Amino acid sequence: MSDAAAPSHLAPGATVRCRAQDPSRHNRAPRYVQGRVGEVVELRRSQPLPGESLGGGGPAELTPVYAVRFAAAELWGAGDHSVTLDLWEHYLEEAGNPGAEENP
Amino acid sequence: MRDNASVRPHDVGGMGGFGPVSPDEPDEAFHADWEARVFALNVALRRRDTYSSDEFRDAIERMPPDAYLASSYYERWMRAMTTLLIEKGVLAGDPGADE
Amino acid sequence: MSTEHEGAPTAARLRRLEEAVIEAGLTSDDELDSILEDFLANAKPINGARLIARAWVDDGFRRRLLSDAASAVEEMALPSLSVLRAVENTRHVHNVVVCTLCSCYPVGLLGPSPSWYKSEAYRSRVVREPRAVLAEFGFELDPGVEIRVWDATAEERYLVVPRRPAGTQALGESELAALVTRAGMIGTAAV
Repeated sequence: MSDAAAPSHLAPGATVRCRAQDPSRHNRAPRYVQGRVGEVVELRRSQPLPGESLGGGGPAELTPVYAVRFAAAELWGAGDHSVTLDLWEHYLEEAGNPGAEENP
Repeated sequence: MRDNASVRPHDVGGMGGFGPVSPDEPDEAFHADWEARVFALNVALRRRDTYSSDEFRDAIERMPPDAYLASSYYERWMRAMTTLLIEKGVLAGDPGADE
Repeated sequence: MSTEHEGAPTAARLRRLEEAVIEAGLTSDDELDSILEDFLANAKPINGARLIARAWVDDGFRRRLLSDAASAVEEMALPSLSVLRAVENTRHVHNVVVCTLCSCYPVGLLGPSPSWYKSEAYRSRVVREPRAVLAEFGFELDPGVEIRVWDATAEERYLVVPRRPAGTQALGESELAALVTRAGMIGTAAV
């Protein structure tokens, strides 16, 4: 996965996958979107990465956050709506094209 | 108790089995006086940085899933607050546990 | 605030917790009372409604609300919120807001969140079958309308800008604000 490290800046329109998260740690990437491919819609302001400050590690660094839109068909196999979530760059990796997801 | 941390029962997006939404439930902010007091207590503790929002959410999410689902919204807050205050040494034990 | 619930077990447990926290020097009864008073006095859906009404009558304000909602809120001297995003309903797009992970939303502008918004039923289902959930609110959308669900997973809080109802050209701003409901600003009603 060496090339899949999160880039420092994602532009609107970029196709991204939400990486699987360790379920034993607090995070804000809902399970329904982990492993799914969506499109960056907007940049949000940078925010501390959730969970990093727990266990006495000190305050978390600010990390870019993006509004990422996922098609219902991608998430549920059905539906014509979309769901847009705010995801930290740490949760995201660029995906080649929308059909190329690898199921975890 | 870290096993509970893997369950994270709060993460319900897309999950089935919860039934229809009830739009007609009573619309007041707090259904009982104690709920309002829980709300106010959380504000006061957050003001003093007794715990962060991360820690508060994590404390709710670490709750045993059966306790999470059986608790009302503000009951969860109260449990999370109690857990954190004990872990941080503000309270020696659960003040509500002597029944 | 009434005290008639003080006898219930949960209320008693809460009171013991409160007393322990007060004894630890972290708050006082007076502070808790004033927190509640401030909250109930200031956090109301009319705040959000006033933003919507202004956007309906003033196109420049509408554009500012959509591009920089926090500044627009400050313009109207409403409870400030640095991470607000207003999303506009149109003929072709309808927006609905949820926080699947916990139930965050812009409390200062909408008032305390309704029970249904916090429920597992809403949080679990609106991301998966929004049309069916809206129908449970008595709100049927044309099949051709695109639904965008916004899940508030980070600090951003979302406010839906409903479409101005037809036949309201003669109404002034405060009359328009009176038409806007909390459900409309969450997206589970037309306005």
